[in-house]
Amino acid sequence: MKYLNKGIDEIHELLKSKKIKPIDLVEEAFENIENNKELNAYITLNKEEALKEAKELENLEVDNLLFGLPIAIKDNICTNGLRTTCGSHILENFVPIYDATIIEKIKEKHMIIVGKTNMDEFAMGSSSRTSYFGAPKNPWNLNKITGGSSGGSAATISARDVLFAIGSDTGGSIRQPASYCGIVGMKPTYGRISRYGLIAFASSLDQMGPMTKNVYENAVLLNAIVGRDPKDLTSAKRGEEDFTRLIGKDIKGMKIAVPNFLMGDVVAKEVKDKIKETIALLKKNGATVDYIDIKYLDQAMILYQIIAMGEASSNLARFDGIRYGFQAENVKNIEDMYFETRGQGFGEEVKRRIMVGSYLLSGENAKVYYNKALSIRDDMRTEFQKVFKKYDLIIGPTSVSTAYDLTDPMDDPRKSFMDDVLVIPANMAGLPGMNIPVGFDKDHMPIGMQIIGNSFEEAKMYQLGSFIEKELSLDLTPGGEKSC
Amino acid sequence: MEEKLTREELLHVANLARIKLTEEEIEKYRVQLRKLLDDVEKINEVEGYDDDILIACWDQNTELRKDEEGSMLDPKQVIENAPRHAGNYIEVPVVIGESEGA
Amino acid sequence: MLNYIPTIGVEVHVELKTKTKIFSNSRNGYGQMANSLTNVVDLGYPGTLPTLNEEVINLAIRAATVLNCKIRREMFFDRKNYFYPDNPKNYQITQARTPIGYDGYVEINDNGEVKRIEIEEMHIEEDTCKSAHRGTKTLLDFNRAGVPLIEIVTKPCIKSSTEAKLYLEKLKELLFYCDISDCKMEEGSMRADANVSIRKKESDPFNTKAEIKNIGSISNVGLSIDKEIDRQRRLYDKGETFQPQTRRFDDKLQDTVLMRVKETGNDYRYFPEPDIPFVILTDEMIEEAKKGIPMLPDERRKVYVEKGVLETNANKLVQNRPLSDFFNTLLEEDIDFKIASNMLLGDISAYLNREEKELSETTLTKERFLELVKYYQDGTITSKNLKEMLDTILESEDSISDIMKKIGIENITDDSEIRTVIKDIIANNPESVSDFQNGHDRALKYLMGQVMKETKGKANPRLANEILLEELKG
Repeated sequence: MKYLNKGIDEIHELLKSKKIKPIDLVEEAFENIENNKELNAYITLNKEEALKEAKELENLEVDNLLFGLPIAIKDNICTNGLRTTCGSHILENFVPIYDATIIEKIKEKHMIIVGKTNMDEFAMGSSSRTSYFGAPKNPWNLNKITGGSSGGSAATISARDVLFAIGSDTGGSIRQPASYCGIVGMKPTYGRISRYGLIAFASSLDQMGPMTKNVYENAVLLNAIVGRDPKDLTSAKRGEEDFTRLIGKDIKGMKIAVPNFLMGDVVAKEVKDKIKETIALLKKNGATVDYIDIKYLDQAMILYQIIAMGEASSNLARFDGIRYGFQAENVKNIEDMYFETRGQGFGEEVKRRIMVGSYLLSGENAKVYYNKALSIRDDMRTEFQKVFKKYDLIIGPTSVSTAYDLTDPMDDPRKSFMDDVLVIPANMAGLPGMNIPVGFDKDHMPIGMQIIGNSFEEAKMYQLGSFIEKELSLDLTPGGEKSC
Repeated sequence: MEEKLTREELLHVANLARIKLTEEEIEKYRVQLRKLLDDVEKINEVEGYDDDILIACWDQNTELRKDEEGSMLDPKQVIENAPRHAGNYIEVPVVIGESEGA
Repeated sequence: MLNYIPTIGVEVHVELKTKTKIFSNSRNGYGQMANSLTNVVDLGYPGTLPTLNEEVINLAIRAATVLNCKIRREMFFDRKNYFYPDNPKNYQITQARTPIGYDGYVEINDNGEVKRIEIEEMHIEEDTCKSAHRGTKTLLDFNRAGVPLIEIVTKPCIKSSTEAKLYLEKLKELLFYCDISDCKMEEGSMRADANVSIRKKESDPFNTKAEIKNIGSISNVGLSIDKEIDRQRRLYDKGETFQPQTRRFDDKLQDTVLMRVKETGNDYRYFPEPDIPFVILTDEMIEEAKKGIPMLPDERRKVYVEKGVLETNANKLVQNRPLSDFFNTLLEEDIDFKIASNMLLGDISAYLNREEKELSETTLTKERFLELVKYYQDGTITSKNLKEMLDTILESEDSISDIMKKIGIENITDDSEIRTVIKDIIANNPESVSDFQNGHDRALKYLMGQVMKETKGKANPRLANEILLEELKG
């Protein structure tokens, strides 16, 4: 008997009425993961511990909607006692001695962590192919990339292994793989979720978020993981709220903006066409949709490159082989140890970005590049604020194309940034962004639409997302429902 | 011919980053870094630079922590993940030179 | 031999006296078991983030205030990036662009000449961990990692080793009095670096400077500056020059030795710390911090002298903060402050030194001390009595008069008893009485002497004096 293909409300009732037990769900999840092993969605499985926890839950009251449900965690989020590699050789054997705040919250809800998902090394990449543990594969076509960096989380949700996964998004790393894999991925407002325990890539951009098969489940998971955390000075002073509250409400009168930049020449025609169809649908249902220009959008990628690589070069300095992680053997002295440990421990993409970042902060460069980027970013945020005075939401495609081949060349260092050119602006302005599947290309690979909201207006994004989801009623199970 | 960084420029950033590179890597990165730096160079074309910088993405200021002690690690936990240790200490290969900092 | 003008700048690192570290809530402590005072933040574990200790800001504002600095109301932190094993994150969180205090000064008194040592800036930062080199290995203890520091940087305005020493003594006194730091150089809670260069004329540009790092005591700061000036002068006299360099003071050699020649500009890649948003200092925070500032040493010295304390005693009191604080509680009282200060610095200090006690560890209270001073003032107890009584006074809770009784110093305070005696004396000494009435003050002293003799010195002299005058005038 299968349960994980049901909605969470139904599963919750089954658990509550004791018709099923958490262990049934956990066993099913591991069965699914085993059947989908070729996806390479996980770096580490937590099977023994998960089964033990599931057993222990049998004595507890089923007190919330997420109780007993399996969840997958991106491998850059620290889990006490459970290996956390960040997709890197340098942390290949690293076992954290504390839980990230988001993990504490997940555990408070008695969700069960099934494993740590595959990802680009230190979340640097757009195809998850920079993982030290090999690339995950797209459930819609095993020859295609999942996107990245949260590729493993996207794949395991898309394949219906589990209902919930956590990803992280510094420059589109939740939304872009969600788009390639045909799932719902939310990057909330910067500061919504405590970053404490998320291994930093670019501190001023990083944000975690839920990845699920549908909008409602996404909102339910977000409910559980937000909140001010005294351990993270950048976490927002916002109380809890019910992100599902606007789901199902109609969208009549909603004002929506489409930035021309997001519908530019770099975007594949098939993708644009699908977005236009969706826009037509929204208009038909009483929303107004205007095409507008937003200043600085075309510069967002440059700002991103400067800020992300600059911060990363500093954030990744701590991986030196002294207190934790890999340490090179046979070194002559401390300097030798630094060079060898980091030279051997980091992969190509990471080394490249750390070196560029070091250059950008070197000497007078910090003023010329980093501080200037921070200043223009301030202006860019102001531009977005102007837009949100007139419009409820911004929409456009999530990615310029659908998922490409795993064998496509990786030698262009600009490629991974270009892949994310449409998703980066939301990170630069700290705004919430979400992917919602809106159709397929000619090869039946998913196409995603991006919804960008004003700060702290995730509920409104879910409102629009759920409306589109309901209207389109796409079959989003790779291979179709029956194969599941 | 492709534009690339000079060998010295590349070795300088590799040194700042404490990353050992093979000859092959040096040649590859000289080309790749040039491409990325050409991208970010474009920021010079963007107008509007003042002292207002956006450190975090909204207008919230730092909330200070009360000076109250929290839980601490057992020294055994401190050395648990360290590749080398001696007694309660974390050990590193011999240090050359003096600290740059405080 | 030509004369040179030295130019000296001093940088001081001071560990703040907080309960917890600057960016984490582990204990700020000294002399504990290695790696027992840490948490994952101090160790720079992946994913950890800094929080900011309120008390650090409070103490830094206090320091900025007493150093006469302007206080920055809106500030952030910067990352200083460099690889070193004592630097857990391989970046140090500091303030490069927005130091909390700037443009301040400290006044020193060089043999009666008052001079301002100008302070360029003071900023907040975190301390590194402690490393010990053992043969081919280095051992790391992270207890000190993240201990809050303020770094105080003077302008290059110091002209001699004497000025540098006076500045450091002054700084130490101020920071210690304001409970900002222990300022124990031997434990490393205060550390000084000196930048030294010399030139022939004020109008000449500055010459190459040498930095002497981590000098362990104030006297060694003076010594190392003198040695360094001398070294540079000998080089210039020979027509030689030298490279900018870092030196250290060698205790055994009693001289500075070269550590390294400075590379051209360290590349620290400073940028604003993205994990800590802007820190805004409100009027309330600044007022609250200023409340922690007690009467400062210079003010104390001034007030004490005004109250009649000898200047040397005023200085001695200020050097002993517990005594000075105790003395300050008496300032509103109507007593002889000269006697009070002598008593504290004399017999009481001798007792404290002998017993290795703090004043607070004795039973002396303000009230009992006032009582004691008054008995001494009016002659009821002599210095000999005081010596006899002192141990008991400082070790028991009994009132001073009870202790006096116990050791036989009685004090007749019974009005009628004294009056009876006085009436007899007046009746028996008509000559003296008429002398007094004719304005001879000597007569009064004689009559008082008779009273004390009659009561075997037990009459309270002040009371006796009052009654005698009453009776004579009556």
